[in-house]
Amino acid sequence: MRNIFLIILFFFFIPVQLAMASTEREINIYKNIRCLVCQGQSLNDSNSDFAIDLKKVIKKKIINKKSDKEIYNYLTERYGDWILFNPPLKINTFLLWGFPLMFALLGGVFLYIKVVAPHLRQ
Amino acid sequence: MISNLGAVLLIVSFLTTCSTLFLYIKNNIIQKSSIYLQFFLFYKVSFYLILFSFFVLIVCFAISDFSIISVYENSHTDKPLFYKISAAWGNHEGSMLLFILVISLYGILFLLNSKNINDSLRACTIFFQSIIQLIFLSFLIFTSNPFSKIFPVPVQGLGLNPILQDPLLAIHPPFLYLGYVGFSLVFSLLLAALILKQYNSRWASIAKKWIMLPWSFLSFGIGLGSFWAYYELGWGGYWFWDPVENASLMPWIASTALIHSIVVMEKLKKLFAWTAILTILTFILSLFGTFLVRSGVLNSVHAFANDPERGVYILFIITIITLGSLIIYILKFPKESVNNNSFALFSRDFSILLNNYFLIFILTVVIVGTTYPILLSVFTGETISVGPQYYNTILAPFIFIFLILMAMGPLMKWNGNSLISIKQKIFSFFIVSIFLTILISLYLSRYNFIFLLGVLCSVYLIVSVFYEIVMSKKTFFTKQNFSRLFSHLGFGLLILAITLNHFFSKEINAKIHLGESFFKQGIKINFLKSESSKEKNFEELFGIYKITKDNKTFILKPSVRKYKQPQQFTSETSIQRDGLSDVYIAMDYAGDPSMGMGVRFYYNYFVRLIWISFALITIGGIVSFVRRGNEKTI
Repeated sequence: MRNIFLIILFFFFIPVQLAMASTEREINIYKNIRCLVCQGQSLNDSNSDFAIDLKKVIKKKIINKKSDKEIYNYLTERYGDWILFNPPLKINTFLLWGFPLMFALLGGVFLYIKVVAPHLRQ
Repeated sequence: MISNLGAVLLIVSFLTTCSTLFLYIKNNIIQKSSIYLQFFLFYKVSFYLILFSFFVLIVCFAISDFSIISVYENSHTDKPLFYKISAAWGNHEGSMLLFILVISLYGILFLLNSKNINDSLRACTIFFQSIIQLIFLSFLIFTSNPFSKIFPVPVQGLGLNPILQDPLLAIHPPFLYLGYVGFSLVFSLLLAALILKQYNSRWASIAKKWIMLPWSFLSFGIGLGSFWAYYELGWGGYWFWDPVENASLMPWIASTALIHSIVVMEKLKKLFAWTAILTILTFILSLFGTFLVRSGVLNSVHAFANDPERGVYILFIITIITLGSLIIYILKFPKESVNNNSFALFSRDFSILLNNYFLIFILTVVIVGTTYPILLSVFTGETISVGPQYYNTILAPFIFIFLILMAMGPLMKWNGNSLISIKQKIFSFFIVSIFLTILISLYLSRYNFIFLLGVLCSVYLIVSVFYEIVMSKKTFFTKQNFSRLFSHLGFGLLILAITLNHFFSKEINAKIHLGESFFKQGIKINFLKSESSKEKNFEELFGIYKITKDNKTFILKPSVRKYKQPQQFTSETSIQRDGLSDVYIAMDYAGDPSMGMGVRFYYNYFVRLIWISFALITIGGIVSFVRRGNEKTI
């Protein structure tokens, strides 16, 4: 049972958008990028000059057959991680991803020891 | 003149609240009497004083009395009366006054609806409620007095943020406050019960009512906020995992966990300590949400009224309240109640424990996601963003399992320990929901794994709820689980709607010239003509678009508004219904219209089901409150 659960869990961490049309790919990238001059808007939601210019840059990169990763690297080199809405797994975001999962694990172990194990022993 | 009255009323209410506290201490500790008439009377007076000063503030806004700073900063004579009034709580000072009014209102509601509870518990609850009230009154008077004066008196005000000039947003904050500030009462009730050694299963049945009421308001408030963001911001979405949205979600999740654990406490006399901790947590998270919104530590669309210095005060208040309540909890918690805490694996009580486990996990994700960027930038100076993808990735697998458990849990028996009696039901629900899922995916011809899983799990919950409704049709309106069925059905539909919406919504961004049309993804957008008009506080440019989709045509009329005070552009969306889905269009306000207007078009699949689910969840809460209100608890 637990193995199945783990398999399901890993399944979700595989990026969902493996095969998408180019325009859909563009929108997906825009959605993941913060419009730096706005209040909490993504590039996709904004039409400020900054957003329009950056969209052009990204479009050009896509036409030049750059991968998503290359585009994100290009952007983070210039503007820092702040620009990405989907935080990459790095040392500084380790706890962001790790803490909730650790919490889930500890809670699960606690419930297992308290309730499930005594039940199995019976 | 009238503004002085408001300021005086605030001071008097502050003094009255002080004397309320003094009266309680005198009565209870010095004279050891349990006659509280005078004490209750004083508390009522303090409520009326706060209410009255709030009215005075509204009048000041209505008559545009610019001698008051907050009126000057947030109002303007050209605004319609409705928005002049709603501006009263559209700013920090006024909203803090509303905050206090709600604390006091819950105290009064409790006083009026608790005659069947013993007087000492009532009085002690009101005592703690007055302490909270006093803390916030002093915060208001000393750091953010809504009646502060400005001299010389300006002739004109600065105006209200146009994005807030919306009928829904005018009523959205009061509902949110009625929600999360309302948790102050059950918090006071907990502290009172701990002090008076009345923290037992009867306490749980009293308290549940006072959780259900703010919970319903909060659910409704969150729904309203989501709906507002959907049609006002023009981004096509309904939930952005914005820190301010998260701030209202945190107490909601905590209180939802509380609603479940308190049932176990009431029925089986278990989970005493856990329920107490959840009660404290719910209120602390409400205050924490206030801190996040008010302190300016966030980068968010909602962060319109903030001031870092006030943030420090609120943080200080949170620390005091947290420490105070934890000390009372540690010193006064009835130790003898802990011995009965065993759970059988296939029992309803254990499924509630699992529910709490999942909810607390979701809560942790929301708290970590919201606060991590703030903490990281404080400690390392690095700035990162945490957006929707983080939450979706980390939450989705848990939500799916959560839905299945939500369907199974209520089938089990309290303290029961076997699956045999319900095995058949669990199995047949699976067959039915797999069948329905196949039908849905064939109909929509979509076979994505996550889509199928989302539909399967939510349909499973919906099927189980319908089964229960059908099986109990005669006793449906009298039975206790009536409200639970509503809320659970709402949640199942919500996840179903979110899944459908996520996979089938369409989005088109295009620049279209007047008279031309644009074709993409089977949707044709035709820009027919443009019109302009002048209103009292803004000028408006309309675009008229004809949308053709699947042989259906829709005429939509989005617009761009240019507000005068303060000068700002907003984009007004135009939305039309297509079954449960929405055809949604918004114009961009950049550039010259003759060069073509940028439009954002969305086909929001099944989005209306989301609002229906919010309504069902809220109705469940209200039903539970009303039913509990009618029964004699003690």
